[in-house]
Amino acid sequence: MSGGRRPPRLLVKTLAVTFATVAVLLIGVFVLVTASVRDQVRQSVSTNLEAGQRVFAAIEARRQRELGEQVAALAESPRLKAAVDTYAAESGANADPAVREQWLTTIARQLEEVAARIDSDAIVLTDVRHRTLASAGRLASLWPRDREVVIAGAEGDRVDGVARVDGTVFRIVSVPFDLDGVRIGALYLATALDRRYADDLAALAGAQTAIVSDGQVVTSTLSPESARAFESALAAAPAGGPAAGIITLDDESHAFRRLVNVNKATFYALTSIDSSSRAATRTAIQRLSLIAGGATLLALAASFWLARMITEPIGQLSTSLKRMAASRDAANLPAPSGSSLEIDELTDTFNALITSVTAAEDQTQGAYTGAIRALAMALDARDPYTAGHSERVSVLSVAIGRSLRLRDEEIEVIRLGALLHDIGKIGVPDAVLLKPTALTPAEFDIIKQHPGAGARILQSVPFLAPHIPIVELHHERPDGRGYPHGLRGDEIPIAAHIVHVADAYDAMTTARAYRSARHPTAALQELWHFAGTAFHAEAVGALATVLPGVISDTGEVVLEHMHA
Amino acid sequence: MCLAAATAGPRAQTADGTAPGVGTISGRVKLTARVRSPLPSNVYPSRTIGKHAAPAIPEIRNVVVYLKDPGFRGALRTTKSELRQEDETFIPHVLAITRGSTVEFPNGDPFFHNVFSLSSTATFNLGRYPRGETRGQRFNKPGLVKVFCDIHSHMSASILVLDHPYFAIPATDGAFELPNIPAGRYTLVGWHERVGERTLSVRVDAGQVSTVNLTVPVEDQP
Repeated sequence: MSGGRRPPRLLVKTLAVTFATVAVLLIGVFVLVTASVRDQVRQSVSTNLEAGQRVFAAIEARRQRELGEQVAALAESPRLKAAVDTYAAESGANADPAVREQWLTTIARQLEEVAARIDSDAIVLTDVRHRTLASAGRLASLWPRDREVVIAGAEGDRVDGVARVDGTVFRIVSVPFDLDGVRIGALYLATALDRRYADDLAALAGAQTAIVSDGQVVTSTLSPESARAFESALAAAPAGGPAAGIITLDDESHAFRRLVNVNKATFYALTSIDSSSRAATRTAIQRLSLIAGGATLLALAASFWLARMITEPIGQLSTSLKRMAASRDAANLPAPSGSSLEIDELTDTFNALITSVTAAEDQTQGAYTGAIRALAMALDARDPYTAGHSERVSVLSVAIGRSLRLRDEEIEVIRLGALLHDIGKIGVPDAVLLKPTALTPAEFDIIKQHPGAGARILQSVPFLAPHIPIVELHHERPDGRGYPHGLRGDEIPIAAHIVHVADAYDAMTTARAYRSARHPTAALQELWHFAGTAFHAEAVGALATVLPGVISDTGEVVLEHMHA
Repeated sequence: MCLAAATAGPRAQTADGTAPGVGTISGRVKLTARVRSPLPSNVYPSRTIGKHAAPAIPEIRNVVVYLKDPGFRGALRTTKSELRQEDETFIPHVLAITRGSTVEFPNGDPFFHNVFSLSSTATFNLGRYPRGETRGQRFNKPGLVKVFCDIHSHMSASILVLDHPYFAIPATDGAFELPNIPAGRYTLVGWHERVGERTLSVRVDAGQVSTVNLTVPVEDQP
């Protein structure tokens, strides 16, 4: 980066800072909202699970009871009971196997009739020794005849537990199978704890579900990896498993809760906090984004307005200062904008500074002008005949300039230029300047050098530069026969023409050593005579017009006008 | 065997009514509580519908004491017994009869009953009939007949058909007596439907009373 790089605009800077601040603020708010949404979701998920657990436990208990009652009612089949009881009476040790088979087939038929009226995975009928007599239902093949049914977690004769058969775990609800108050067998309603059951459970609990038996996830709606992770997490927990908690599965935080504990089987409901909070967070962020967008726009607009409030007055100020610096005009100072106290103070300070600088400059110029005027007057005073000449020429020139409707600036240039027009005569020796007799050509050449000498003197003072043409060219003539350059007509500035006319008039109307003063009218006639050749015609005309206003009754030029 | 018994004819009887060369088995049956493997009952209490007030029949009355294969040769006296249906219960619950006897099943309840059996000894179905009506069934084969009502699933009864007269159902105190048994060695059976046969060796001497005590391990349920 180069050292000469321009600094950025205040407006850009303000907008950048505002934008950055708003961005940091919004990021902070986003982070906070995300965290708080997550926290709230975690709580609500836990609350939901808890409520769900109560409802589920009630529903599940009722469902199992009703299922049991349904089966119990269906079990009140006289034929089934008669078959089982008669079979028990006749299937002694020495019974005919063929007859026994016939009996078991009869029982199986009767059980099928019962099972056909209920939606169950398996209905299993055992004798009093827990041996399977018959089974019916979708998964009946898993309950072969004569196998002993072992129900895990059976307490006394109340059975509501689980049984594991060939890798399939069944939820078991038992119903008594009595005949006239005497137990003749048992009916087990077996519901497979498979994926279908887990799905039903999930729909009921409104969450993911997992069924754990003996520390193993029997079935679940989770992915296999998550199920394994859940299994190992439970294994690490104290015996019996926690009732509820938070667990990380698949890099996602899950809240889980034990729904019911059916002896060796535990039913869990799980809800992913992350996926629940994602939706909630998305909604919150969407709303927040809307607000944030509005806030950002508002902040940018406000900062833009503020920045403009500063930059605009400063811009105005700097524009007027530039203009002032160019024109050196202290009259048109910028007025305080009223936009802010600081800017107004700055404006005032600048105004005061410019005013004082202008005053100092005026003072300096005044001093210079005064000194030069004094010099010009001193020069005039070298010759008693020309005393007051420069001031009179100045008064006359200003009057002519006004008559010709020149601009005020040009009038001012003429006023001082006319005063200084003969400054170059400082280099003319008294012998030539004060010589009462006619000049020799060599002496006249010396006189001819005074405009150029005057110009050179003024060149050393910068603020007198505008007056140089008047000093240098006040002896040129429209017909080109003047000196020092012999310029013609329009090549000569009007200011120089005017001073030439005024100079000539004053020379003619004042006395010289070698002649007396002419009457103003005679002098005007003389000027009229040479108008267009030696003198600028319009300037002569203007002099004729203004003369009555600037000379007294005695024909003298009134000098009070000098200080008007 | 029946024909053989018939040709043998009844033995001569003594003046006091006891045949010569016969003795009596007298004894007492005792029911003992047995440890039963637990069987499931409903975890959830069920809503019981119309629980019938079963008349209390002492469990001892459901025991039959008889001789196992005594080799009876003689005319078997048939009887006409009654198995009433009252309060949705068969009364008595256990009936012992001789082969060829008839059992009547009168309906004493103000609603229909049915009587049927799936037993191989006698498979029958008497159909449904109202109060006051009765239907009978003759049992020609020895063995156990389980009787049910296909309207009331909790109703059941057992009929033990024997091809000899040496059987008895004990009194409520358990006492029983089997008279007129020819002298010899026999196997005495105490039968209960949920236990099966409990046997005891017994010797019968002519003119003597053999006293035995039989234990049947049945839970004496109320």
